[in-house]
Amino acid sequence: MATKLSRGHLKLFNRDSFPLVSFVILFILCLVMMGVDYRQQILKKIKSKFSIVTSPITYLINLPADIFINSKDNFISKTLLKEKIEALEQANHILTIAVQENKLLKSENKLLRNTLKIKKDFNLVGKVAEIILPNVKNGHSIITINKGSKNNIKIGSAVINNAGLVGQIINTSKKYSEVLPITSEDYAVPAIMDNNKENVILYGNGNGGLEIPLFPVSSSILVNDNFVTSGAGGLYPKGINIGRVVEIKPTTSPKFNSIMITPVSQPTTFTQITVINIKE
Amino acid sequence: MEQKKERTSLVILFLTSIIFSNIGIFGIENVALMPNYFIALITAFTLNKSSFLNIYILVIIGLIVDIFVGELLGQYGLIFICIYLVHFIIQKMLVIKTTLQLFSLGFFLILCSFLVLWATSLSHGLFISFNLLFIQSIFTFITYLIFNIFIKKFTKN
Repeated sequence: MATKLSRGHLKLFNRDSFPLVSFVILFILCLVMMGVDYRQQILKKIKSKFSIVTSPITYLINLPADIFINSKDNFISKTLLKEKIEALEQANHILTIAVQENKLLKSENKLLRNTLKIKKDFNLVGKVAEIILPNVKNGHSIITINKGSKNNIKIGSAVINNAGLVGQIINTSKKYSEVLPITSEDYAVPAIMDNNKENVILYGNGNGGLEIPLFPVSSSILVNDNFVTSGAGGLYPKGINIGRVVEIKPTTSPKFNSIMITPVSQPTTFTQITVINIKE
Repeated sequence: MEQKKERTSLVILFLTSIIFSNIGIFGIENVALMPNYFIALITAFTLNKSSFLNIYILVIIGLIVDIFVGELLGQYGLIFICIYLVHFIIQKMLVIKTTLQLFSLGFFLILCSFLVLWATSLSHGLFISFNLLFIQSIFTFITYLIFNIFIKKFTKN
């Protein structure tokens, strides 16, 4: 005769028992680790400590490109080298004249600042580095550079290139560093219009641009207006180019517009950038 | 012997996943087209009922993934034990007989894990677009199918 099993003893297709206690403990442990990491940024510290394990991966990924560039340099002809040197000499000549002009402007600026008693210094001191691979990491866009804590690169430093602001250092290992691009969703930067009119905070939209989600309709802003860093907060030096307005969109509120900005710097792999030193 | 082969295949696929998660699918560096190789890997091994995979090993693998490519310590551990739990519950309730059913279950597990990834990221201040995750989950499913073929071939010989 068939006996009716109680609900507690009922086992259907899988006859294994579930490690419920272990599951609950590990589940709570994972949640605690996530919470602690969110507040204390432990993972970044672990990543820096474990860079001896993670660095070979970055090296391995860049190896084919390095071999290609090195072999290309070996096979470059004498004529091509001569042409390159000539072009560089010309560029150097133009830059030397520009430097002389800048020196004059700087001394004039210093004089005016002394007269007006403005003490802020605009000296940009930084380290030149090269963007390498990887530029994506497990579904996220990042910028990797070939300088790390060994070269005194510090977390939080601003990164610029010849066009403007590129991002901010978020992670460093001994030889490499990771930069959060300005277009990333997690990015925000205090900015000012280059005519010193509007102080705003620009946010990355994760889609190759920046935006001001709510901007008062009453404020004057036009397409092609340029934004530079405002220097507020002291992290970024004042006056670094960020981007220009490409679109002004109305929002659901009639009092605000949404402003779309395209960054001026378009950093690509194997180009040069400068990491600005944090003032101690 | 089979367990040893399974372990070896896990190590091979894990190393491949680390490399590929840094260079994108076939070198295409588009974030939307990038599958989550680790979710695909654990889904494939869980559905193949690998005897050596238990809840503790899954958490340890999750922590290693976090160190290599993660953004939040413990996030992948949580995702992997959730895959384990959902798979266990479904096994209790349903009989998976055909390959189509197995693949459907694989897709369901991938969707569940992406949901956990999305929820844990948002609750810890990491923005992830939901639409992007859906596209990524489709690519992750394709990766799971490839991993599945590899595991079958590797453990068979």
